[in-house]
Amino acid sequence: MPDAVATRRRGRVYVTKSVAPYLFLLPFMALFIAFLIAPLCYAFGLSLFKTTMVAGTQFVGAANYLKVFTDPSFWDGVVLLFKFGLMQIPIMLGLALLYALILDSGRVYGRNFFRIAFFIPYAVPSVIAALLWGYLYGPSFGPFGQLAEFFHLPKPQFLLDGTILGSIANIAVWEFMGYNLIIYFAALQAIPQDLEEASSVDGATGLQYALRIKLPLIMPTVIVTIIFSIIGTLQLFSEPYLMRNLAPGIINSHYTPNFYAYTLAFTNQQYNYSAAVSFVLGGVVAVVSYVFMLLANRRAA
Amino acid sequence: MAVIELKGVEKSFGSVKVIRGVDLKVEHGEFVVFVGPSGSGKSTLLRLVAGLEETSGGTILIDGRDVTNLGPAERELAMVFQSYALYPHKTIRGNMSFGLEVAGFPKDEIRQRVDEVARLLQLSDYLERKPRELSGGQRQRVAIGRAIVREPVAFMFDEPLSNLDAGLRVDMRIEITKLHQRLGATMIYVTHDQVEAMTLADRIVVLDKGIIQQTGSPLELYEHPANLFVAQFIGSPKMNVLPAAFKEGRISINGGVGIEAGKMTGTDVANVGIRPDDIEISPDGTGLIHGKVDVVERLGSDTFAYVAVPGAHAVTVRAPRDSAVAIGQDVGLTFRPERLQIFAVDGTSLRLRPGV
Amino acid sequence: MAIVSKTANSASFRNSRRWLTVALALYFIYTFIPIFYVIVSSTKSNADLFGTFGLWFSGDFHFWQNLQDLFTYQDGIFSRWLLNTILYSVVSGVGAALFATFAGYAFSKFEFVGKKLSFALVLGAVMIPQTALVIPIFLLLSKVGLVNTPWAVILPSLVFPPGVFLMKVYADDALSNELIEAGRVDGAGEVHIFFNIAFRLLTPGFATVLILAFVATWNNYFLPLVLLNSSDNFPVTVGLSQWYALATSGSGGAVLFSIVMAGSLVSIVPVIAAFLIMQRYWQGGLGAGGVKA
Repeated sequence: MPDAVATRRRGRVYVTKSVAPYLFLLPFMALFIAFLIAPLCYAFGLSLFKTTMVAGTQFVGAANYLKVFTDPSFWDGVVLLFKFGLMQIPIMLGLALLYALILDSGRVYGRNFFRIAFFIPYAVPSVIAALLWGYLYGPSFGPFGQLAEFFHLPKPQFLLDGTILGSIANIAVWEFMGYNLIIYFAALQAIPQDLEEASSVDGATGLQYALRIKLPLIMPTVIVTIIFSIIGTLQLFSEPYLMRNLAPGIINSHYTPNFYAYTLAFTNQQYNYSAAVSFVLGGVVAVVSYVFMLLANRRAA
Repeated sequence: MAVIELKGVEKSFGSVKVIRGVDLKVEHGEFVVFVGPSGSGKSTLLRLVAGLEETSGGTILIDGRDVTNLGPAERELAMVFQSYALYPHKTIRGNMSFGLEVAGFPKDEIRQRVDEVARLLQLSDYLERKPRELSGGQRQRVAIGRAIVREPVAFMFDEPLSNLDAGLRVDMRIEITKLHQRLGATMIYVTHDQVEAMTLADRIVVLDKGIIQQTGSPLELYEHPANLFVAQFIGSPKMNVLPAAFKEGRISINGGVGIEAGKMTGTDVANVGIRPDDIEISPDGTGLIHGKVDVVERLGSDTFAYVAVPGAHAVTVRAPRDSAVAIGQDVGLTFRPERLQIFAVDGTSLRLRPGV
Repeated sequence: MAIVSKTANSASFRNSRRWLTVALALYFIYTFIPIFYVIVSSTKSNADLFGTFGLWFSGDFHFWQNLQDLFTYQDGIFSRWLLNTILYSVVSGVGAALFATFAGYAFSKFEFVGKKLSFALVLGAVMIPQTALVIPIFLLLSKVGLVNTPWAVILPSLVFPPGVFLMKVYADDALSNELIEAGRVDGAGEVHIFFNIAFRLLTPGFATVLILAFVATWNNYFLPLVLLNSSDNFPVTVGLSQWYALATSGSGGAVLFSIVMAGSLVSIVPVIAAFLIMQRYWQGGLGAGGVKA
C-alpha cells in the first residue's frame, strides 16, 4: 500500500483514510493487549502447570481444572453467588425500573433532585460503602441496634449466618440501584413523545402506558443491565473481604470464588491453581450470561 | 471547470454490486443530474466521483487526469451534502474558511474570498453566527458557499434540497440554476425527485440497480424513454401502462381494439404506455378503451381522473380544470396512436411508431 | 412537559403526583442513611461514636479534631494516600477517556481489516473476572519490576473497554459521516479532522467516559490491593480499609474508628462533587445545530 503511508504536506502531518483507523486504535489496543490479552494468556499458561517444593514446576495439563471441578471450596462459593444474585439482582433492578418509570412519568416533585440523589451511592467506593454499612449493621453500636434497644425490641442481627448474605446484598443494592436507574431513565427519555399522546388518545391511563408501552420498549436495555449485573455479581469480592472481621467464621477465605482465588494466590502462593480457579469462574460467568441471553431471546421471539 | 469521465466504473460492498459498470462523460460546464429510486446507486456513483468511496473497478478521469486513486481533496472538487454537514462548533465564516485554511491560503485572501462569496449568497450578515442560529435555507446557502469559496473544478450535490420544505425547495432550485449560469461550472447533482431532475438538468442520467438506464436531456427522456422503467420514472403523474399484444399486423390494447402497427413486425410487444396528458375523456361507448371513473382530484390548474379499466391498472387522465367528469361515470378514453410508447417483453422501447 | 394538558390539572393527577413523590422520598431516606451516618459520625469523638445514638449529632462537635487526627495519624500518611488517589484517578481517567475516544471513533467511522474481531474482543473483555486479570498482571509486572509503583495501578486502569463501547455508540449517534466527509473534501487529513471537527462533537461522550473511568479508578480496591505493598503508594481505599481492619480486629485499634469515619467522608466528597459538576456538562448536546437529526 504505497499510498497508505502518512505523507507530509505543507508542514503538517497528513494521515490518509486507510492508515487512520490503525493509528486511532493503536494506544488502546496496545494497552489492551498488554494488560488484558497477555495476562489472560499468561494465566492460562500458569493454570496448566503445578509448582511444588519437591518437584519444582511441571506441566500437568488439565489436572488443575479437574481439581477445580471437584473442589467444594470453589463450588460452595459459586452456589453462594447464585443465592446472592437471585436475591440481589431482581430487587436492585426492580427498584431501578420502578423508580425510573416514576421519574419519567413527570408526575413527581423534584425530579432532578431525586435522580441525582439516587445516583450518589455509585460515587461512593465499594470499600467505603461496605465499611459504612458495616458500622450500621453493628449489633451493639449500630444505630439500628440502638433503636431496637431504645424501644425494648430484640436487636436485629445483620451479621449472623442466616442474615449476612442479605446484608451484603443490601450493600450492593444501595451502591448500584441508582446507576441502573440512570440507564433506564435515559432509555425512557428516548421514547418519542407522541407515543404517550397516542396512548392517551387510545384511552390508556398513565399506569397502562408505563407498563404496556414503555416497559416493553426498554426491555432490550433491561436485558443488558441484567447481564452486566450477573457478571458483576459473580465477581463479588470487596464487600465480603472487608466484612470478614465483622463476622469471623462466617465469611471464610473461600466465601466467594474471587475471594478464594485471592487467598490461593496471596496467602497460599498457589498461583497455578488460583489461575485455574479464575478461569473456571470466567467460564461460569460466560455460561450463565449466555444461558440468560438464550432465555431472553426465546421469550422475545 | 472540468470534464469528468467515468470508464467502466464498478463498486461492490462486500458481495453486493452497487454499481455495475458505468460509462459516462460529463462535459465542461454541464449540469448533469443523477436520478433514480433509492438503492439505484445514484449517491454511491456521486461519492465515487467525489472520492469518498473507493472504486472496485474502472477509472475516473478529471480533465484527462486519472484520479481513481486520489483522495477527495486532491480531486479539487467541492461537495454539498444532504445534511449540509456544517461544522456546528464553527461560525459561518469558520465553516467557509476551513478548506482554505487547510490548504494553507494566506489569511487575507481567505477573508477576502469568504466575504465575496457571502455577498453573492446574501450571507454577509450571518458570518459570525453559528449554524444552529440559521434557518434551513440559510444553512443550505452556507453549504453551497463553502463549496464555492474553494473555486473547485466541479461541484457535487448530494440531494441538497431534500431536507427543505416544499416552498423553500422551489426557491433554492431556482437559486442553484442561477448559480450554475453565473459560475458556468461543471455540476453533478443527485436527487430522487424527478421534478428537480427535469428542472435543473442539462442532461439527466437515470439509474436503476447500479446501471445507467438512459442518458439524455429532460425532454428526450420524457418523449422517448428507452424503457419501461424510465418511462414510469420520468413524468408526473406516472405514465399509464396497459397490457398489449401484436395481432395480425395490429397492436391490440388491453385485449380490445387494435391500432395500426405500421412497419412494426415484432411479436414481442407486451405493453403500451400513454401519458396522462395525452388521454382525453370521451362519452361512454366511444374511444379506444372504456372504464368507470373511480376518483377525481381537482388541483385547480388541472383535474386528474382515475379511471378503473377492467383488466388493467387504473388509468390516470389529465382533464381540463373545468371538466365535468364525475365519480361513477362510465367513460371512454381516446388518445392519438402516435403518442403511444410501445414496450417489449423485456421492457425496452420499440421505437417504431404506428403510422410512421 | 410530558403531560397531556387535559390531565395536568386534574385532582387525580395531583393525587398520584403526591403519592409517587412520597415513594421517591422513602427511597431517598434509605439512600441517605449511610451518608448521613458518615457525616454525623465524623463530628463525634471516639467515645461519643459508641456512646450516643448513631444517627444524630452528639453535643460535642469533634469534627475538626477528627480531621486533624486523620491528617496527622502515622505521620500524616492519609494526605499521601489522598494525593496518590488523585494522581491515579486523574491520569487514568484522562488517559482512558482519550484512548477510548480514539478507539471508539475508529470503530464507528472507519472500515478496516479485523474490525469485527477486535470489537468483539473489546466487548467480551467485560466478562473477565478481575482476579483472572489482576493476579497474572501482578506476576507479569513483578517480572519487569513495576509492582509497587504508581504505574502498576495506572497502566492497567488505562484500559477501559466499556468506554470504547460507549464512545462507539456515541460517535455513531452524535457525529454524522457527512461531517467527516465534508472535512475530507475540504482537504483536511484524518488527524486534523479528528481534533478540529470530531473531537469537539464527541466532547459530551468524552466527559462521560472521563468521569466513569475516573470514578472506577478512584473506587478501585482489588487492583491496588494486589499490586501495591508499601503504604506510601496506597490509594485511600486500600489505606482506609487497612485501618478499618485494624480497628475491627480488636487488637487495640479501636481508637481508629472516628479517624476512619472522617477519612471516609473526605474520600467520598471529591467524587460526589465531580459527579455533580460534570452532571451538568454532559447533558449539553453540542451537535444539534449543524447536522439535523
